[in-house]
Amino acid sequence: MAKLVIGHFYPDLLNLYGDRGNVLALAVCAQRSGIDVEIKQISIGDDLKEDDIDIGFIGGGQDSEQNIMNDDLVNVKGPVIKNMIENGTVFLTVCGGYQMLGKYYREHDGSVLNCLGVIDYYTEGEKERFINDTVYELTKEDGSTVTCIGFENHSGRTYLGEGVQPFMKVVKGHGNNGKDGFEGMRYRNTFGTYSHGSFLPKNPEVTKMLLTLALRRKYGEDFEFDFKAVGAEEEARKAALKYIETGKEQMI
Amino acid sequence: MRKFIGRATAKTTRKILRLMGKGATTLPGKLALKADPSIIAKEAAGKNIITITGTNGKTTTSHMISDLLNELGYDVINNISGANLASGIATTLICGKDEIKKTDKESKGTVYVLETDEAAFAKIAGDLKPKVSVVTNLFRDQLDRYGELTHTRDLIAGGIDKTEAKLVINSDDSLVASLGKGREDRSLFFGMDKESMRYNNEKYPPRKSLIPASPDAVYCPQCKLRYEYKARSFGHLGDFYCTGCGAKSPENRFSVLYDLKESPSKEGYAFQIKDSATGTVRDQTLKVPGSHNLYNTCAAISAVTVMTEILENNGGASADIFGKACGSTGKISAAFGRMEKFKVKNKDVCILLVKNPVGLDRSLQFVSEAEDAGALYLLLNSNFADGKDVSWIWDVDFESKAEDFPENIYVSGQRYGDMLLRVLYTGRAVTASGEEKEMKDIFDRALSECPDGKCVYVLPNYTSMLALRAMLVREFGIKDFWK
Repeated sequence: MAKLVIGHFYPDLLNLYGDRGNVLALAVCAQRSGIDVEIKQISIGDDLKEDDIDIGFIGGGQDSEQNIMNDDLVNVKGPVIKNMIENGTVFLTVCGGYQMLGKYYREHDGSVLNCLGVIDYYTEGEKERFINDTVYELTKEDGSTVTCIGFENHSGRTYLGEGVQPFMKVVKGHGNNGKDGFEGMRYRNTFGTYSHGSFLPKNPEVTKMLLTLALRRKYGEDFEFDFKAVGAEEEARKAALKYIETGKEQMI
Repeated sequence: MRKFIGRATAKTTRKILRLMGKGATTLPGKLALKADPSIIAKEAAGKNIITITGTNGKTTTSHMISDLLNELGYDVINNISGANLASGIATTLICGKDEIKKTDKESKGTVYVLETDEAAFAKIAGDLKPKVSVVTNLFRDQLDRYGELTHTRDLIAGGIDKTEAKLVINSDDSLVASLGKGREDRSLFFGMDKESMRYNNEKYPPRKSLIPASPDAVYCPQCKLRYEYKARSFGHLGDFYCTGCGAKSPENRFSVLYDLKESPSKEGYAFQIKDSATGTVRDQTLKVPGSHNLYNTCAAISAVTVMTEILENNGGASADIFGKACGSTGKISAAFGRMEKFKVKNKDVCILLVKNPVGLDRSLQFVSEAEDAGALYLLLNSNFADGKDVSWIWDVDFESKAEDFPENIYVSGQRYGDMLLRVLYTGRAVTASGEEKEMKDIFDRALSECPDGKCVYVLPNYTSMLALRAMLVREFGIKDFWK
């Protein structure tokens, strides 16, 4: 039986806004699709080797919590993670996890958070937070598009460098910086997004894409599997879209 | 003069709103504060005040404290409807005499029992000058509104320093316990007995889940080291210590001795409370079920003991006073939307308000253990008062409890799609689900499919609870909270 090892990075510190649901989605959908799954929790002081995991997840945390794990990520695990990303390991990163893979994060008070610098983008903090429901359009590898939904809550504005693809187009909400109409980034098999929510349970096409990338990387490009989510995703998506369109009390 | 105008404004507004059939728990105070910004300080002067703050258990603990004090011979004025911002507290201080809960004994005086929002506490603690301040716990709440937990802790610390209150604080919560540092002479700790906790951890280890729930506050903020735990109760609560600075869960004055051989989710769960200041141990039965209510009950008995010692014994520890507080739990009842139970024909309906991850975690644990659970009905809204972001439902560990949920599960509310997926992810099926306007139909179905003699457990968040209650008042004639 094919098997995937999911690495959940800093689950005791980076665990804001239901990001844990993304790991649950990867694990449960893989299991339902007949793939064996192991979840590894990888936190401060834990050993990490390049071949340990097939999919990595790094979420976001409160500032005080990011300050606790930042040194371990950048200085201890950093070189290994860099190699993994360059060699095509699948990663999903959300909010703080997304920001920390970039070149730097300068907060609005001028202080700078150390970042891995593995991918060419940077983040500038501003006072006003983007807190709202979001709708995105994702173009899949076969060229077809799919509507994704999420919830963003961030004060950082991320600007992608040349050669880094955006992950999705913003239909509703702010996305990376509220200006260029894009959300998140993709570099090799690493994805970043500001969408909490959790993102994957609501958007099974993305779960499927990540599992497919990881399985084909491990078992060859012709690896096929019968992807199964939990059902009712389409109903949930329609309900969310209807609420977002008619919701009265939208914040900024 | 301004105080007079403030009072008059509040009282008139209250009368008019009540005539219109409204609860009028905040607007009178809001207008009074406009007329006189110092009205809280003026109204609070000379009064016996207990404040209760923390992210979870405020309302239940306040309710318990009120019932205990009543039974002990005190008249009580409180903001039990949960209007816990400055406006609601001003309303209670000005208009509270209208609905004083009179003791049926010879009155020893009046005590104000004020549940206070964490941020509001920081602003008005100096005006209130409470004699006793209770801090229940600090769990992640609506982070889109309140920000970081450490910030909330600092807000409460700032409020405390503007008072000389005796502090009744939770020793098992690392963030709350740290409030005692530098305030040792006025801090009294409560929590689970540390030996009891260790015994229960070994004897009844918790069920493992696919992914553990997202924890709060498990690192020492000073040393950036993960706390070690000698024993745990739930969430980040437990007998913690830091291997760096040596910070640890303080010794309790008041502690709960318990045994999980029976479940605290059962009616009449037996346990004991110990006062180590006098070496007294008292038998108790849990009046409001649920393991978290062991903390709330202990907090309430602690606060009432400390307040009564101030009023009757110059603040000195007294086994007699502690014993009387423990003996006064007979009339404790559930608060608005917290384990509130009522009968519909030959079935029960029970409402458990859930506002944040740990609240949902404890409520699901309760339902999974309740012997009378005949249906589970989850309601999820996302109005401003709920927090716009409903992602927190994914921080909760449903997985370890789901196989013990009742057979029929129902879902509704503005965000029913999110909750539907959350339940399906456990592997359990959902019997019926639909948007907010179908809330009543789905409730009717849940009730009709619930076996006779069993209970429909409804877990709404804040505004879905208000909508549910309005429906229940209309359809089943249950009482409004202010009547």
